[in-house]
Amino acid sequence: MANANREHAGLMMMVPLPVLTSLVASLLLAGPMKHDVPKPGRPQLVSVTPMPVAMSGEMCEMVPASTSTILQAALQQDRAALAAAARPAARKEADQSTVLINRLPLRVIRDPRPTFSAVAVDNIRDEIILQDENTFQIMVYDRKANTPLRAAFTEPKRVIGGVETKVEFNCAIYVDPQTGDIYAVNNDTIDTMTVFSRNARGNVRPDRELHTPHRTYSISVDENTQELYLTVQHPPQVVVYRKQASGNEKPLRSLVGNQTHLEDPHGIAVDPKHGLMFVANYGNVAYYRQNREGTSGGRPTVEPGTGKYFPPSITVYPLKANGDVAPVQIISGPKTRLNWPSHIFVDPEHQELFVANDTDHSVLVFRTTDSGDVAPIRVLKGDKTGLKNPVGVFLDTKNDELAVASMGNHSATYYPRTANGDVAPLRTIRSAPPGTPALQIGNPGAVAYDSKRDQILVPN
Amino acid sequence: MAHPQIAAFARLAKGTDTPARTLAGQETKLSRTMHDIRYSASRDEIFVANPFAQAILAFRGDVDGNQPPVRIIQGPKTHLIEADTLEIDDVNKEIIVPVRDEILVFPMEGNGDVAPIRIVHAPKNGWRPGGGVAVDPVHNLLITDGVSADSANRGERGEEGRGRNSILIFDRTANGDAEPLRVIRGPHTGLKGIRQMQVYPKGGWIVVAHIADGAIPEPQGAFVGVWSINDSGDVPPRWKIDAKTANGLKKPRGVALNPKNKELIVSDMRLNAVLTYSLPEMF
Repeated sequence: MANANREHAGLMMMVPLPVLTSLVASLLLAGPMKHDVPKPGRPQLVSVTPMPVAMSGEMCEMVPASTSTILQAALQQDRAALAAAARPAARKEADQSTVLINRLPLRVIRDPRPTFSAVAVDNIRDEIILQDENTFQIMVYDRKANTPLRAAFTEPKRVIGGVETKVEFNCAIYVDPQTGDIYAVNNDTIDTMTVFSRNARGNVRPDRELHTPHRTYSISVDENTQELYLTVQHPPQVVVYRKQASGNEKPLRSLVGNQTHLEDPHGIAVDPKHGLMFVANYGNVAYYRQNREGTSGGRPTVEPGTGKYFPPSITVYPLKANGDVAPVQIISGPKTRLNWPSHIFVDPEHQELFVANDTDHSVLVFRTTDSGDVAPIRVLKGDKTGLKNPVGVFLDTKNDELAVASMGNHSATYYPRTANGDVAPLRTIRSAPPGTPALQIGNPGAVAYDSKRDQILVPN
Repeated sequence: MAHPQIAAFARLAKGTDTPARTLAGQETKLSRTMHDIRYSASRDEIFVANPFAQAILAFRGDVDGNQPPVRIIQGPKTHLIEADTLEIDDVNKEIIVPVRDEILVFPMEGNGDVAPIRIVHAPKNGWRPGGGVAVDPVHNLLITDGVSADSANRGERGEEGRGRNSILIFDRTANGDAEPLRVIRGPHTGLKGIRQMQVYPKGGWIVVAHIADGAIPEPQGAFVGVWSINDSGDVPPRWKIDAKTANGLKKPRGVALNPKNKELIVSDMRLNAVLTYSLPEMF
């Protein structure tokens, strides 16, 4: 009998009302039935055929109506009636009642482990400093730390993090070689570059703050002139400040305009020795208004409808470029293998440029004199490298080592400077057990539900 | 954000369950700053915007990896500028995009340099859309968040969209100069920083992710709130999930609805997390 009840409940959900009414009427007319003794010559339920799957379950829902042409047409025809039936009562302003929902979520998708978005090495004090863009921390490790294979993770020496720090979507880092001060760039929510003294730890206020343009991404510093360079993704520009700038101080100069070929600029590296500035571009761009010299009330503004896509590129400028200056070299094209190039680092001594090549899971090395569609001189890539979505890169010239931060697997890895091909790292710092993928959810500004696949879509 | 992507998780995924698929890479033409995403059940397509390239991208519903969009709306006729949010009307086959002082409406199958089929804007010193947008095709309503244009011109909007303190309800077919049918605004609403919005037409509910202030790491006054499409004036939400430890929520930025399972899905930008609540009260 219990089984029969379950069948009946299922029937109620799947069979349209008129059919169900008819069935119930038939059953009632049939009078009381003994379960195992069919009465010949009387109406009886002999079988149940479920409705097609596509019609089950969601028959009462109006939202997915557009999935069915028939239902959509019905919706449009009967909109007034549906609207009247679905309309909740209006309230007057005097009605101030709110039902407070106090409950935990049924499910939470969250990666609780640090995910590294940028790296710097302090080779004077023998420390490696990593930006954790997942839990918003700056993590300091011994430079020679190497997480044992059986260890879950390596404990950092110091951590800076918490609401007082203003560290959020911290995507770039610079360490002052003289003082050890840490410069942390926050991408687009806090719009502030924060500077911490070397020994800062915990939830502490920054020693210095500089209000930066919305969507600032990367940083490079010319120690000779004490100037710091920041890329701004959009409207695209490079802004140059005094290294000690703070508060609402204005930039000394800006590289900005339609001749610059700055196209969603990401990484930046300066080479004072050769007087050059290198910028990595994703290729997304819209053009500035021509008659306002690219600014509106002091802020750059772009023209509607001028958006374009270009291939990713490395653009090279004179170090002191100011205003709408065209690049002196452009590295771009299929041979380059560029695929969302992120942070970059220049080695003036060997005249080499290192590129963290995010979605190719590689580090590319170009000559700083390269231009056009050129192949990299070295490519660090493969299963042995441990690279997964590398976005941060730093060359430790004192120790002749390359440090890379991978967003995709909770790790930072070291290689010989000249590593080429599928080379295992010299050392690895992990914030999670080996092989643990990072979810890489970052600044999830929205969410959608894919009703066909029963999936949740999460954009960064 | 150092790594743009769209990740697709199983509805029942939890903890550190990995996504079933991810969309990322040069071919995708994505950028970061995707502040909205919509799934079209009728076309089985995903819609997002790229504000830097002034483009609306449509992907196949099952897209995976470094794959290109199937259609791109981009070009001089589009009026697109820094569009980072959008809504789709799956019944009337339209894409609705708030940009600066206007709301642009495109045909859902639009591709290339397509002019909007409608442009909604405010009379002088009227309103200005903030970015949140939702359509109710049953009650024929277009809902957006916004500020009054005069306060926006005084700079009260702020870099991160602070001051997005009003829910504006228009006729869905509004075109040209338009005044909202109703405005929900005032101290009792608790509104000062609206983000993604959804409508549940069956109940006539407007669901709002209220971040309060995106420029503060853990702002006070963040919540997910539900209003009626017929609410007007200074009225509080019918239901409210406050951002607090007891609710597991810190800084809600996105909302989505799963009526079949009576679930509310929330993205939290401080937690970098996706939270699914049971909310049978609303469905």
